[in-house]
Amino acid sequence: MFTIETGSGFWNPIIWAISIAIAFLLIYVIRSIGKKEYKKDTEQVKSFLSGNPEYEKEKMHVKASNLYWGFTTSLKGLYNLLRKMHTGNTSDYVLWFVIILAIFFLIEVI
Amino acid sequence: MNLVETSETVLRIVLGTIGVTIFGIIFGLFYKGIDRKISAHMQGRIGPPIIQPFRDIRKLFTKENIVPENAIPWIFNLIPLLGLVATITILIYLPIGGFQPIISWGGDLILILYLLIFPSLALAIGGFSSGSPYAVVGAQREMATMIAYEFPLAIIIISLAWKLTQVGGENVFALSTIASTPIWNNVTGPLGFIGFAILLFVLIIVTPAELSKIPFDAPEAETEIAGGLLVEYSGRNLAMFYLTDCVKTVVMASIIVVLFIPYNISTLPILGIQSGSYFAYAMDAIFYLIKLFIVILFSVTLIRVAIARLKIDQIVYTYWIPLTLLSLVGLICIMWDGFIMNALGLV
Repeated sequence: MFTIETGSGFWNPIIWAISIAIAFLLIYVIRSIGKKEYKKDTEQVKSFLSGNPEYEKEKMHVKASNLYWGFTTSLKGLYNLLRKMHTGNTSDYVLWFVIILAIFFLIEVI
Repeated sequence: MNLVETSETVLRIVLGTIGVTIFGIIFGLFYKGIDRKISAHMQGRIGPPIIQPFRDIRKLFTKENIVPENAIPWIFNLIPLLGLVATITILIYLPIGGFQPIISWGGDLILILYLLIFPSLALAIGGFSSGSPYAVVGAQREMATMIAYEFPLAIIIISLAWKLTQVGGENVFALSTIASTPIWNNVTGPLGFIGFAILLFVLIIVTPAELSKIPFDAPEAETEIAGGLLVEYSGRNLAMFYLTDCVKTVVMASIIVVLFIPYNISTLPILGIQSGSYFAYAMDAIFYLIKLFIVILFSVTLIRVAIARLKIDQIVYTYWIPLTLLSLVGLICIMWDGFIMNALGLV
């Protein structure tokens, strides 16, 4: 009952929901054993910066684009090639679309 | 399904969840203790006692649970709890102790792959909600690592499912099907054996990244970003992440066991153990725990002692280029296994 089947895969959200509710209650009880107090309005609640000075939040903001640094650096060759292809010209993009479509068509015919 | 059957199912889920919670936490902490002891000996140190992780948890529960002023408190407190809870629920779908999964019809391997994202995502969200530059850098690295290792992991799963489809298996992603159809029994020739060995090797390399262990622990990197996404966590919240790490280690090792070594010792004719007896169950359970230990030893302990931490671009490169290509080679070997043996007339 309520099992979702895709032909090759399946899962039952009700079972998972019951299981997660039980596990949540158990872990919540275990967690509540721990101490919950801390000293508010003290140095304790400041961010740890390894002794570096704390600037305004705007200056210390880590850009979301940094997420891709690992990819752009490790696959530099590929990204440099892709950047050259991104001319900003719509005609070029449409041309690429037609070329790829033609390749797919040829593969289908062969 | 009538009322009695529904009640039985609900009771099974409730007791099963309680059981796997206790099992996951206790054995997760125990294996962490063994891992620390062995790695210490490999480095020429005495190391902490095996029960040290239990003491760590007790100590963390007595520490202050500090919420930084820049944090978003409700996310900061809730996320460690959700990460652990989601990790525990994976165990109800896995065959534990040589037995069938508690709820074999409740979900398949694809569901497990999705649930495995939860703990990593919890770490990343916890890091973003900390309001600390170190934690944000760590959270971004965690997300990049996740994107990197999912690619070879998906190829491994698809390869195994494809092979099971070829041998006429039904519900090829079901854990009960995978556990009852060991892949090594369906190898036609040496090429298939090499293919599965390659996939096992890749999965062993994926495991430390799933667990944020050295050499793939750039998201935490204590010496560089002071613990990264965990830098602001303390007390019971940190204890939750500590437990998540332990339970996820058991989960990952169990997945490797079910995919590649789902054998039970009680079925060996040479031992003469009566099938279905309590002794057979006990032997299978002990054998399962030994298998977990061996998998953790190779995929976590040995790798983290032998290799230094990689930079995040090196992690991405490792997973997207050599390991993805290697897993594709494994897939091709498995695909060509049957064809070549048929062509040579050896089957």
